[in-house]
Order: sequence, then structure tokens, then C-alpha cells
Amino acid sequence: MKNLICIIITVLIIGVLLVGVSELPEFGNPNNPEHNALSKGYIENAMKDTGAKNIVSAVILDYRALDTFIEATVLFSGAIAVMTVLKERDK
Amino acid sequence: MDDLILKKIVKFITPCIQLFGIYVIMYGHITPGGGFSGGTIIAASLILQHITFGKNNVHFIFRKEMALKLIGFSLILYSTIKGYSFFGSQFHLPHPPIGVPGNLFSGGFILPLNILIGVTVSSTFYVIFTLFSNE
Repeated sequence: MKNLICIIITVLIIGVLLVGVSELPEFGNPNNPEHNALSKGYIENAMKDTGAKNIVSAVILDYRALDTFIEATVLFSGAIAVMTVLKERDK
Repeated sequence: MDDLILKKIVKFITPCIQLFGIYVIMYGHITPGGGFSGGTIIAASLILQHITFGKNNVHFIFRKEMALKLIGFSLILYSTIKGYSFFGSQFHLPHPPIGVPGNLFSGGFILPLNILIGVTVSSTFYVIFTLFSNE
């Protein structure tokens, strides 16, 4: 009985996700929402705004620096979690 | 490990790896690279040293207790600098000059932030390695 409920829930979730995926815009279509003014603005203005020649650095450390901060925090909390699990027992 | 060839080669190659990692971090805003990749390279050199010479020959600043303080310090400094940058651009506070793109000291806050990320990543990876190695 439990297994049957699990299977039904899984099939339902898969169906909902597949319906969502089927609504995605076509790959490579120039009218897609990801080809808006933002990417063009980054490519044109990154060097003038930030002074960095590497546009990846300009995005991750200037425009989206908060995201990088949380990434580093995730690394830190991962280290803390591993330290908690693998703590040496006191002798 | 007790092998003469390995020890000689590691002794020769470790400074080269660390220098390359520092280069990748420092030139992160000019060439491809940055704090994450450079920090990983430095962590790889530390792990090599740990495996070859034992944990007592790695610099004390990368030991577990010091490394946690180092990571916390650099994260707090990162948040302070970036918070100042966000609010400063809003309220027109003074900020470092952007400089000529292509020079080492250019790009405002990007270079110190890259260094802080590199410190965090290298210490974290090395600490996780020391936790999993059972010596």
C-alpha cells in the first residue's frame, strides 16, 4: 500500500515537471526571453563600468557579487558540516 | 610517504604550483581565472605537501583551528567590502579608482574580493582534506 502511494506521487510529480518542460520556449529561437537587453548591456558596458577585462570576473565579483558571497558561505558551511560529522572523538 | 624521488620532486614543484595559483588569483580580472580556480590550485599544492611530508610540515596558518578563523575573517571582510561598495555606489561615497583596464591594479574592488575568495576556497578545501585523511 505504501509503495503504491509512493509510485502514484512520483508519477504525478514527473507528469507535472514534464508539462512544465514542454512549455519551454524553443532552443535557439532569437525571440526567446533570454536574449533581452541585459546580456548585450553586460557585454558592452562591463569594461567601462568595472575596469575588468575579464567579463566573467566583472559579472561574478561586481554585478552579482552577493551571489558569490553566498557561494563562499556555502563552502564554509559545507566544511562546518563535514567537521561536525567527522569530529574526532575525545580520547 | 618515505620516498626520496617523490620528496625531491615535490620540494621542487610545490613553490611553482603555489606561484601559479597566486598568479591566477591576482590576474583574475584580466585573464581567465579568479578566486575559485586559483584557490583550488593552492589547495592542491597544500594537499600534495600534506601527503608527502606529513601534516606537521604544512604551514600553521592552514591547520584546522587557524583555517576556520581565516575563513571567517575573509568572509566577514568580503561582506564588509561588498556592502560598502553596494551602499557607496548608491550614496556616492568615495570608491577606489577604476584605472586603466589591463593593469594589475585596476578594477576597483575586484582584486581584493578575488584574493579573499581565494583564501576562503583554498583553506576550505585543505581543511576538508585533512578531515578525511586519517593520519
